[in-house]
Amino acid sequence: MSEPEDRRRSINMLRPLPGTMRGEVQVIAMLLLAWLVAVLGSQLCIWLLERSIDGFWLTDLIFFNLPIHFWVSGQFLPLLFIGLCLLFNLWMDRHEVRRMESTIRFRATGRKKEEVAP
Amino acid sequence: MSVNGVQIVALLIVAGMFLLFILGGLGSKLRQASDYGFSGSYSGLVGSGAAIASNWMSAASIMGLAGMFYLKGYYAMAFVIGWTGGYVLLLVLMATQIRRFGKFTAPDFVGFRYESATARTVVALISIVITIIYCVAQFRGIALLISWIFGLEYQAAVITGAALLVTFVVVSGTLGVIRNQSLQYFILIIAFVVPLMLINRKLGYFWVLPQFGYGEAIITLQQQFGFFWSEPFASIDLFQWMALCFTLMFGTAGLPHVLSRFYLAPSMRDARWGVVVGLFFISLIYWSAPAYGVLARLFDARSGNPYKIPDPSQADLVTLTAALQAGLPSWAVGLLVAGGMAAAFYAAAGLLQSGAAAFAYDIYPRLLKPTATDADKVTMAKGIFLVLAGIVMLLSLNQVGMIAEIAAVAFALAGNTIFPAFLLGIWWSRTNAAGVLAGMLTGVLITVSSPLLGDLIPWVNTVFPLTASAFVGAPVVILVMIIVSLLTRPPSDEIVTFLIRDVHDSGGK
Repeated sequence: MSEPEDRRRSINMLRPLPGTMRGEVQVIAMLLLAWLVAVLGSQLCIWLLERSIDGFWLTDLIFFNLPIHFWVSGQFLPLLFIGLCLLFNLWMDRHEVRRMESTIRFRATGRKKEEVAP
Repeated sequence: MSVNGVQIVALLIVAGMFLLFILGGLGSKLRQASDYGFSGSYSGLVGSGAAIASNWMSAASIMGLAGMFYLKGYYAMAFVIGWTGGYVLLLVLMATQIRRFGKFTAPDFVGFRYESATARTVVALISIVITIIYCVAQFRGIALLISWIFGLEYQAAVITGAALLVTFVVVSGTLGVIRNQSLQYFILIIAFVVPLMLINRKLGYFWVLPQFGYGEAIITLQQQFGFFWSEPFASIDLFQWMALCFTLMFGTAGLPHVLSRFYLAPSMRDARWGVVVGLFFISLIYWSAPAYGVLARLFDARSGNPYKIPDPSQADLVTLTAALQAGLPSWAVGLLVAGGMAAAFYAAAGLLQSGAAAFAYDIYPRLLKPTATDADKVTMAKGIFLVLAGIVMLLSLNQVGMIAEIAAVAFALAGNTIFPAFLLGIWWSRTNAAGVLAGMLTGVLITVSSPLLGDLIPWVNTVFPLTASAFVGAPVVILVMIIVSLLTRPPSDEIVTFLIRDVHDSGGK
């Protein structure tokens, strides 16, 4: 990548650079979507349950020894966050291996060209 | 056991715990990390995780959260979700990139990325204000515990706590003690969970995993005492709850002392995996904290007062009152006190030192004395540490709110200023110094808008509540940063190239 080409490019999360950054941004977007849906969705459901049948579901729906809203917010969501972080890291580990391989290929090709050049 | 109003057993356990931390810190200095029990064998993933978790732990987690549950019930879940969910943001959007920047403090990062000494100074000032607010919450925790141990009035306990904190930092500094964060985390978690197991066991609940066992207390409260937890949004509407939850998340990804863990990670992989393990360790505390609040409610009900309106000034001590009401042995109560004390002490000491460093290295040589030598800066850092401790002490003399609420204000400020500056700094190369300065100043105004303008313009209190202003505030600040950046000159080619080549993964090129 030469300097002038770099200058025409820019970093923008909404328009990731082609190549490995695009894959990374897609994974980040998916994980953040899951994170957002989990937080907003769970609380919206709890809010709706509170308003239905005098909060019946929140007193009688017991999960792992806890009323459902305590379990979802107090136990499950932190666990889900750990799970999302775990997924991200597993993906990134594989991604870094791929990236390293492509770097090695790039360098090997580069060296060959230099050797050919006078 | 109490002699002349002094809780002797608790005092001995607190003193013993601090001695252990000091000796542990000396040990890790003298020996190689690898052959030293706690710190050595956990220097890998578990060590990074424990370091992240113990760096995070404060009076707000160990004392404040349970107090919130006791006082406000389900409302406090916003803290649990906010303080854990923020780590997802931090990991996927910032952790590796911050490590790749190779800068060591928030002012350093902002100064370098935006090529602006002014932006650097503004971030240093904001960091100091965050430090002060966050430390007021810690001082409240310290004062409540000291007033219980020594039987002192609150204000006298604040002054005693401040004196002990300064003495502790000076002694640790003189002895060259290094903070042994793994050891600290494991002792903290034992001090927090073992008493909870004992209470559950006494009540005949499932004590092996008290994080689930306390559910029986909720059911008992409902069936025997008619106390229901079935109206989670009765005292707060859904919007306000979300505002608090997201403010805490944005703040987590913007607090300077939380971000600092990532500049120092040994490798990018360590920075990433440390978050997963750290988040698990943090969650162990947060899975347990609601139990203390619920059990304290049960003890109130058992003593004939199920609908007691708790005294907010005492709610932060609820872990302790629950243990006392359960009739736990003095050593178990002492363990809880020592855990709370250690969390508050180390959080306050660490933050005050980094606040002092921000002044001495970022503000003093730039604004006050450009010719300052390194020795001048060290002297200034020591002096400013004392000044900041004094300011925090004075602000803590009046009881201004609950520990978790005071901490939430610091999160709101971080979420409105530093979080957007880092987010756009990493993910949009067009953001420039003018944009970030305009955005951060807007963020400061938004944070203080409720106390300043709330009486004149009532909707400000709803949209930007003091403890939860970043939910709407952070997106507004991001918008301001984008608009002002687009209207002004783009950043230099060097910084754009640096972002493309060194910070982002642009295909290994």
